[in-house]
Amino acid sequence: MDESAWDGTLSASELSASAQAFAEKWKLNNPAYPPWTWVKSLKVPIFATIKVEEGYLSLENVCIVKSNDDEVASCVEGEASLCDKEDEESTDSATLVQTSSGNDNAQPYYFDFHIIYSASFRVPVLYFRAYCSDGRSLGLNEIESVLPANSAKVLLESKWTFITQEEHPYLNRPWCKLHPCGSSDWMKLLFQAVEQAMELYLVSWFSVVGPVIGLSIPIQMLKEP
Amino acid sequence: MAAPEPPSSSQKVIIQLKATADAPILKQTKFKMLGTDKFAKVIDFLRRQLHRETVFVYINSAFSPNPDELVIDLFNNFGVDGKLLVNYACSVAWG
Repeated sequence: MDESAWDGTLSASELSASAQAFAEKWKLNNPAYPPWTWVKSLKVPIFATIKVEEGYLSLENVCIVKSNDDEVASCVEGEASLCDKEDEESTDSATLVQTSSGNDNAQPYYFDFHIIYSASFRVPVLYFRAYCSDGRSLGLNEIESVLPANSAKVLLESKWTFITQEEHPYLNRPWCKLHPCGSSDWMKLLFQAVEQAMELYLVSWFSVVGPVIGLSIPIQMLKEP
Repeated sequence: MAAPEPPSSSQKVIIQLKATADAPILKQTKFKMLGTDKFAKVIDFLRRQLHRETVFVYINSAFSPNPDELVIDLFNNFGVDGKLLVNYACSVAWG
């Protein structure tokens, strides 16, 4: 691959391959979180007779607790459902990863994250939504205020990570998304420094996108095996 | 008998800053910092030096470090030739 000519984008099949590599590394190196799962979605393009199997990466039920003094605890509840997205029966094994010192005002919020390929930008896009324990969805402003202090900082300071509200491409419900414009530019920079397999695209991509929504990649995951 | 190792809290890490894309080149590119400092310190330093609110900072291993990561951890895992090479860029095309 001619590095200098690469524009920082990738094809849908390259993203699928990268998604698999990313999910495997995540499972190995980030055991405190549920694993990412690939959700298949059969989409029939209009005027076509062939069904095109598409899919996206899903990480759901990530619990983020933000207490009043800005300390953030992350706990993991339940298992990410595999294919049956209607399955509400998740095992309730909450694991407190990090906790703030005894704050009664802590309110848990739950996040669902989907990484979906954008055919127009030819890059992955992060979609997410947040809701309270009573099931109420959070609006965009609310989400920005409950994100961990660090990610709020990243959002404010970075001019290439901003959140918009849009209809989920498969679920047809309003979700938030991290706008993809600019992603190919910084992906190009990231891959310019060293020869990288396309499989590692998502790992590099997530190192930039993750901190914006309070998810980080442990160092071990970034190292070549 | 080997001399006792200095406590890791005092270990310094050499950072080498490299301008990429069309970022301005700094007069001084090599710095020493405490291993226990967070990477956020490098990012903040760059923002002040370059007078930009947004700087894209990344490592040669194709990722952008989490600002909370300790510099010593980054160096131990990704350092080369006794230093941690940190790339930075300013204007990522916006559109």
